[in-house]
Amino acid sequence: MSTAPVKEPEVISDQSREPALPWITLVWNDPVNLMSYVTYVFQSYFGYPRAQAEKLMMDVHTKGKAVVSHGTREQMETDCMAMQGFGLWSTFEKDQ
Amino acid sequence: MARAFRRKGERYVAKLDEAERMIVAGLMEQTRLLLAPEIPSTGDPFDDLVASLESSVSAPETFPRGTDPGDRDPALARLLPDAHRADPAVAAEFRRLTEQDLRRRKSDALTVAIDALRGVTEGDKVAVDHAGAQAFLVALTDTRLLLAERLGLHTEEDVEALHARLTDDAADAATYAAAVYEFHTWLQESLVGALMGRRLLP
Repeated sequence: MSTAPVKEPEVISDQSREPALPWITLVWNDPVNLMSYVTYVFQSYFGYPRAQAEKLMMDVHTKGKAVVSHGTREQMETDCMAMQGFGLWSTFEKDQ
Repeated sequence: MARAFRRKGERYVAKLDEAERMIVAGLMEQTRLLLAPEIPSTGDPFDDLVASLESSVSAPETFPRGTDPGDRDPALARLLPDAHRADPAVAAEFRRLTEQDLRRRKSDALTVAIDALRGVTEGDKVAVDHAGAQAFLVALTDTRLLLAERLGLHTEEDVEALHARLTDDAADAATYAAAVYEFHTWLQESLVGALMGRRLLP
């Protein structure tokens, strides 16, 4: 995981070459949440198909974290809040 | 003998005896106490919205207790974690904007589950509809997160040690707490399975 401080740039008009989806929502592994429940949350909240939800869940489980969505900062705040609402350990950040 | 959640038509039904229901409901009440919104509900959604907006726009130094994550109960820090790992200012702003709402949502889910457990009228059957099952699932998650923090379950190895403890014959408080945690795990696994349309447990 990155420990470098993330400086949030001001939005200025000539940054039009920024990626279209510059922010990400992450879910981190924890020893409490069930694999089945994490899969259920990814399916029911994001609408991901079962196979994709299971792959993301396995990434969380084996790699320690997974990027579960991309979008604007506002969208990622919404997704992160939803994940925390489900009890998952979620953060958001600007994509590197 | 408890029976796990199963789908029955439009409902999700488990069979828990009174002692089991009281243990689960009691722990959910403790979790709700920890998570209770700092701004109590007025009973009027519009007034609640206004109250939470006033809190959101208040200066950070006047924001209610717990703004500094270092002062928090570790269980609360896990239930409402920092949303940005590298930038405390972004994490603090997210907290200011979302915390009251998250606390209310979680408290409401716990209330749904507690009411279902306390409202059993016949045959030890705990029954919820689809929305109730979703709330029950979140309530079990938050209660397990609280229990796990109190039991010191921070790694997969800690959980394995907990399983090992259950195979001992010890009748001490820690073994009892481990059994209670595993009971919640079993109940949640069955409810996820029922909601996902397949049974994961007999």
